[in-house]
Amino acid sequence: MRALLAILLLGIASLAEGQRTEASEASLKAAYLFKFAGYIEWSATDFDSPAAPIGIGVVGSDDIAAELSRVVSGRNIAGHPIVVKRFAEADPPRGVQMLFVGREASKLAATVRAAQAQGILVVTDSERGLELGGAINFVPVGERLGFEVSLDSAQKSGHRISSRLLNVARRVVQRGAG
Amino acid sequence: MFEAIRYSVRSKAILLVLASTVSALALSAAGLVLYDLRAYERQWTTDLTTQAEILARASAPALSFDDRSTAAKDLALLKVRPFMLAGALYTRSGKLFATYTKPGVDARFPPRPEAEGYSVRGDQLSMYHRVIEEGETIGTVYLVAYYRPWSRLVDYLTIIGLVMIASLAVTALFSGWLQSAITMPILEVARVAREVMSQRDYSLRARKTTDDEIGELVDSFNAMLGESGRRARELRDADQRKDEFLATLAHELRNPLAPLRNALEILRMKNVEPASAEKARQMMQRQLAQMVRLVDDLLDVSRITTGKLAVRREPLALQAAVNDALETVRPLMETRHHQLDVSLPPEPLMVVGDRTRLAQVFSNLLNNAAKYTEPGGRVWISLEAQGEEAVLRVRDAGIGLDPHALSTIFDMFVQVDRSLERTQAGLGVGLTLAKRLVALHEGTIAGRSEGGGLGSEFEVRLPLAAAGVAAAESQPTSQAAPATLRRLRILVADDNIDAATSLADLLAARGHDVRIAHDGAQALFVARGYEPEVAFLDIGMPKVHGYEVARRLREEPATRRTLLVALTGWGREDDRQRAREAGFDRHLVKPPEPAEIDRILEGAAARTAAA
Repeated sequence: MRALLAILLLGIASLAEGQRTEASEASLKAAYLFKFAGYIEWSATDFDSPAAPIGIGVVGSDDIAAELSRVVSGRNIAGHPIVVKRFAEADPPRGVQMLFVGREASKLAATVRAAQAQGILVVTDSERGLELGGAINFVPVGERLGFEVSLDSAQKSGHRISSRLLNVARRVVQRGAG
Repeated sequence: MFEAIRYSVRSKAILLVLASTVSALALSAAGLVLYDLRAYERQWTTDLTTQAEILARASAPALSFDDRSTAAKDLALLKVRPFMLAGALYTRSGKLFATYTKPGVDARFPPRPEAEGYSVRGDQLSMYHRVIEEGETIGTVYLVAYYRPWSRLVDYLTIIGLVMIASLAVTALFSGWLQSAITMPILEVARVAREVMSQRDYSLRARKTTDDEIGELVDSFNAMLGESGRRARELRDADQRKDEFLATLAHELRNPLAPLRNALEILRMKNVEPASAEKARQMMQRQLAQMVRLVDDLLDVSRITTGKLAVRREPLALQAAVNDALETVRPLMETRHHQLDVSLPPEPLMVVGDRTRLAQVFSNLLNNAAKYTEPGGRVWISLEAQGEEAVLRVRDAGIGLDPHALSTIFDMFVQVDRSLERTQAGLGVGLTLAKRLVALHEGTIAGRSEGGGLGSEFEVRLPLAAAGVAAAESQPTSQAAPATLRRLRILVADDNIDAATSLADLLAARGHDVRIAHDGAQALFVARGYEPEVAFLDIGMPKVHGYEVARRLREEPATRRTLLVALTGWGREDDRQRAREAGFDRHLVKPPEPAEIDRILEGAAARTAAA
């Protein structure tokens, strides 16, 4: 059974050969998403109980959702376990503290607004991500993956982001600072 | 150096101060250095760990998000710590991520990080520290810093060296003070002691410079010098007096010998006129009496110096003792043609004491008065009662005494004027003896003089006896010719053949049967067959001494009741005691008085007759 699964996986891997870059990029982004959670100063009001999980919602990127589920399994952030929830674009995101809106999402702005209204910190992967209301947005930096932060957006959803994270951000946007 | 330490208190003191200073400094320095080296290492590693931790916290996001430039910027902050030589960040998988090198330092980074911890290599301390985020190791910090405990040690030793030099300088200052405050006074004392020893000058004194214990030492030393000087002077004076006494003694003992020898020659001559023979005999008797008196004085000297002088205590009328004394000195008074005025109260003045000894005191005073008055002078003696005391005064119009002489006149062997003609000179013990004897009678004696040439007066005060004490019947000294006794068997034992023979002749002349022995063994042998009724035994005999002879004779049944008489030159009380214990009945001091011998023989005859 295990051998069969291994063969199956090998098959998938070979099938996915052409999308290899995309796959590693997805896993990198998933890893970053998980790490972002560690630099956000969660408040007690975000959770029902001290041991309640941190929910990370994913919209519009199945790859990343899958990778993220793998990454977070068995890991904690400040004592909270992590759960990953996949949402359809039409669904209003619920029961999560953080929401990633992938490239495949079409109604980016609406999704972001809806999430912000619920006090959910939004991570985007779009050139206009911050303008549309994302608190953190992935940007490519040459070969590497970087990100930018909008403190205003984070504040709108009621969150503060650790200065340590800001230290390694490509760009930090704040009202009046452009 | 070591010689100096051995012989100098100052060097010892300085060495002590130096040793304690240096050892205290060395010990405290060693402790400090040990502590500091440990603290230095601990502080340094703690410091480095903190540094690494701060760096780990700061660069964790850079590692997390693969941001090498931020990591490099973080590392570059190390340049504010000049001791930091190099720093590096390794990723979770152990790849070199970012580095920092202090300008001018050639640093090489290990390709892969090692286990967490620090290590010292040469003068470098390197440390690996894990970067941990949310409980996960996400990389490693590597730091290299200067680590130079030895340079610190050198700094320390330099400081200690300087402190020690300063301490030694202070010690040198102290030692200077020490020398003047402690060793100088001691050296001064030592110097004075040496001078006293070499010059025999006890008037030298050490100078006192401080009021502390050393000042006290100097005071005590000076006091001791004073005391030593006084003692030395006393000893010298006493010694001188003793020397003079011995010279006087030899002279005095020799004086009678010439007349004795002359008288003997006269008696040996054939056809000597009876009148001349009688004169010679009288002369011999006088000279002999003088010699006996000298020897008695000598014995008294011995008694005084050994504290054995004792007096009998019986009631007597002082007039009797005065009369005895007058009897004794009358020949001298006549010889020197003095006029003697005697004033005695008619009623007897009763005292408790020793008639013979009191007579001796008075005759001594009269003798002195006669001696120190030019021939044809006057001597007064008076006796009166004053309250509870009897007062006897002897006054003369002689050479007198100057005040200085008055203070020493009662000391042993002191004679007022040795230049005076010596025919009647004594041994210089008369007044000493008088003073002791009067003291034994609870009385006092004092001398007075208006000065040289104005005569002198001696006054003896004695406590009067309580009323009602009757005078003991004075023993009439029996001058009657010895009664004819029955013939006694007598043994005479003496290793001095002349002494034995002369005594035997004397006894034989009295009509007794006499045997002679010349040592103890012979005495015992003779006694065994002869069974003497009286035995005169010398004590210091060869073979068996007198005490032993007496003991054995007492054990023999045949001689148990023999009257044993000890004949000895030793007249002290413990000698008498010893003789009694050995079994002697009587104890005679040589030369025995013929009258005393007669009394003993009378007693023996009566005893054996009764038995």
